[in-house]
Amino acid sequence: MEDLASRIVKKALALGCQDAVADVVTNRSYQIRFARNEPVISNRWRETTASAFLVHSRRVLASDIKDLTRTDEAVERLVKIAKASQENPEYAGIARGPFSYARMAPDKKVLALEDGSDHVDAAIHGALEMGATECAGSFWKYEEEHALVTSNGVRGRDHRASLYLSIRALASPEASGHGIAAGTRLSQFDPARAGRKAGRVASLAKSPKLGTPGKYAVVLDPLIFGALTDQVANGLGAWTVQAGLSPFGKKIGKRVASAAVTIVDDGSSDSIARKRFDAEGVPTRRNVLIQKGVLRTYLHNTTTAKRFKARTTGNAGLVSPQPHAVFLKPGDWSKDEIFEEVTDGLWLTNTWYTRYQAYVTGDLSTIPRDGIFRIRKGEVVESWKGIRVTDNLIRLMKNVVALSDAPEQMMWWGEVSVPNFVPYALVKDVNITTSAE
Amino acid sequence: MADADLVDLAVDVARSKGATYAEARYERQAQESFILKNGVLDALYSGDDQGIGVRVLVDGALGFAATNLLTKADVRATVDAAVKGAKTSRRKTPIAFAQEDSFVTNWSVPEVKRLADVPVEAKVAEIQAVDREVMGLGIKVPARYFQLASNRIEKYFANSEGSRIRSYSPRLRFFYFLTVGHDGDVEQTYRNYGWSGGWEGIRAWDLRNRVLEEARSMKRSLKEGRKSPEGKMDLIVGPQVSGIAAHESCGHPTEADRVLGREASQAGKSFLTPESLGTRVGSDLVNVVDDPTVEHAIAFYLYDDEGVKARRRYLYKNGRVNEFLQNRETAAVLGTRSNGAARAVNYNVEAIVRMANTFVEPQDHRLEELLEGVKFGVYMKSFMEWNIDDKRFNAKYAGREAYLVEDGQIKHPVRKTVIELTTPAFWSAVDAVGKDLEFEAGFCGKSDPGQALDASLGGPSMRLRNVYLR
Repeated sequence: MEDLASRIVKKALALGCQDAVADVVTNRSYQIRFARNEPVISNRWRETTASAFLVHSRRVLASDIKDLTRTDEAVERLVKIAKASQENPEYAGIARGPFSYARMAPDKKVLALEDGSDHVDAAIHGALEMGATECAGSFWKYEEEHALVTSNGVRGRDHRASLYLSIRALASPEASGHGIAAGTRLSQFDPARAGRKAGRVASLAKSPKLGTPGKYAVVLDPLIFGALTDQVANGLGAWTVQAGLSPFGKKIGKRVASAAVTIVDDGSSDSIARKRFDAEGVPTRRNVLIQKGVLRTYLHNTTTAKRFKARTTGNAGLVSPQPHAVFLKPGDWSKDEIFEEVTDGLWLTNTWYTRYQAYVTGDLSTIPRDGIFRIRKGEVVESWKGIRVTDNLIRLMKNVVALSDAPEQMMWWGEVSVPNFVPYALVKDVNITTSAE
Repeated sequence: MADADLVDLAVDVARSKGATYAEARYERQAQESFILKNGVLDALYSGDDQGIGVRVLVDGALGFAATNLLTKADVRATVDAAVKGAKTSRRKTPIAFAQEDSFVTNWSVPEVKRLADVPVEAKVAEIQAVDREVMGLGIKVPARYFQLASNRIEKYFANSEGSRIRSYSPRLRFFYFLTVGHDGDVEQTYRNYGWSGGWEGIRAWDLRNRVLEEARSMKRSLKEGRKSPEGKMDLIVGPQVSGIAAHESCGHPTEADRVLGREASQAGKSFLTPESLGTRVGSDLVNVVDDPTVEHAIAFYLYDDEGVKARRRYLYKNGRVNEFLQNRETAAVLGTRSNGAARAVNYNVEAIVRMANTFVEPQDHRLEELLEGVKFGVYMKSFMEWNIDDKRFNAKYAGREAYLVEDGQIKHPVRKTVIELTTPAFWSAVDAVGKDLEFEAGFCGKSDPGQALDASLGGPSMRLRNVYLR
């Protein structure tokens, strides 16, 4: 793999490129999808791809090369296209290596896992035990090997493996709950717990009534809070800010959340997205993005860092900086204390379709799904349906009153794009709307 | 095509290893795209993606595996992986496929000017000209984001029932995202256009006028827009709003795999059940169609990714649920036949039930005629924020370009008009349908791993009576 990456970089330099990056990735991931309490399909991948980033006279081009038997021809074609394109005056180069990287090795028990059926069964049984009648979801064994070489002296290898399971349980057509299990070590991975969580919420959610619009104190389960912190982290990419796709423009040093909120991006810590380096080969590291509610930095690659007079945060993607894994600093409240704090409010467990009226203002709505509960003094008094959170991302983060002391690793289809380690959150004055008949 | 031999080999090997049904699909996607961000060519991408996906049915269980390593040994190993996945499945209810005809055929989409013959610099110049004109309007546009993408998709599909189908499908997409500011306030918008065919699509879109008109309307909305009225009133929606409603509030809930719960964990379920066929969801005027054979629409195809011949499907007909979108697996469960809705975004994922080009069928009203019948209401020409629950029952569309209507006349712009209605409430309020059918493109997300797939969303203007707006 490393030889192939070197060959691509050398070929690009020989053809006149000033900068080149090649990341040869072997994907051996495996998945079981399940629905109606049984598997629906098993998916396996055997792929090796070279992601290439070439710069010729400040003309920047990215590519994925799939036919690895003809990489020279591919690079020739790509350089020809790059030459014919236009300069990017904002391009500021790639990181200069070499770098030394933290030692990280995947769990041998994860690598050796050939069949995930037991994990699927454990999750389904966990949900059924708690009163669910129908379960669906996915089990994943992710495994990737990377060999990255750049024209600036970077050489890096990384072997990443993790387990992930997402389960949605239904106790009736309108009563559902969701659970997530994730870990880089087999010993961390608890699909039965995820199933029990999904089943317990589904059982509680039976016989929902239509919700009532208004402003509520809301307890956010880690899955829905993770969906919001994921919005925050993605909105902190410098490229995203430049494109007008973020409410965090010109807010460095300003308050964007309550003092309870400290958000860190860290690709080097243990998560199912843990990696040794970013797409330029810069070692991943801990970056405090929001400290006690105040915005400290955007996520940068070398080019955006120069533009913003900052340093790369080691978050380069091929084009734009991306979060790796998001960590919320936990609070000092127990989960029970958070619920007990709510004299009259809501408990939301999941959401989807977070959409903006204007990205730059942060005005959004998102639709809670799965269990939606009216709670009084910490007790569930009703199950609801048919509501929407219609609010503003920064206002929601500013209204965070309390965080629990035990964050959980959340990542979920579409809404939580990277691992977010998030606790339970209590947010005041959340605006709830409903559909009119 | 040497790769066709590998596809045929995959099917033969799968059969020899015990698959009662096997299919293999080779895809090559020549992709090119770029982003022009605030006038700068920011991200040029050129990829030549190819590989083979193999799906097998063994003892009533499905296995799928994919590789981009196109040697006989790798293809054999990929078949082994698919068969192993099926054999280790603990499925108790056997999966079956509905019986379908087999085809040996070729189909392709003609290109007046081949996408491959248009150099990237010409494509960039085309979009830069639009960008320059936007900047020449004298409007404050602090963020401009244009993306042009082309994809030339070659496929070869073979299955163990004798189907052998080759296809070539060139596609062009344009996306823009604009931020317009005025007196400290902003409006943002995005639009997506798609085309099956060659470079001639760029002219068919009339991009320059569309983008400039949009920027002007955003400025006008900021400068002259007033608060949208709240309460029950009449509403006229433009083609963009009809299109998203057709896709979200008809297409998705009629996907049979959702109805059956196969997507429950991710894309969700449906408010419809297998027993819902024939039930009323809208007024008699509501006909919503999904049709892969609409010429030049981005999701044009003649045979789906299970080799089933494509045809027009009436999802809602005269206001009633008429037909679900089916692939062979869902059709077998529901005791019917596939209607050719199986699609995969690339070689490395299974084909599942997908919409293609979904639209409200136009009727005979001109926009002026729709307006004439409105004493007081809102004309919502386009939207920005939108979402819908996972059963596709509670939808919200917040206006981007909208106007007050009084006595049949369009008055001043109104801002952030919100429709927040249930699916039956929306479709039941339709009392007149226009003839100004327009399509936009979208990426429709579904499945795990996620498959963001080309789709068209279309419709004409429609009039809805007495709906609650805020």
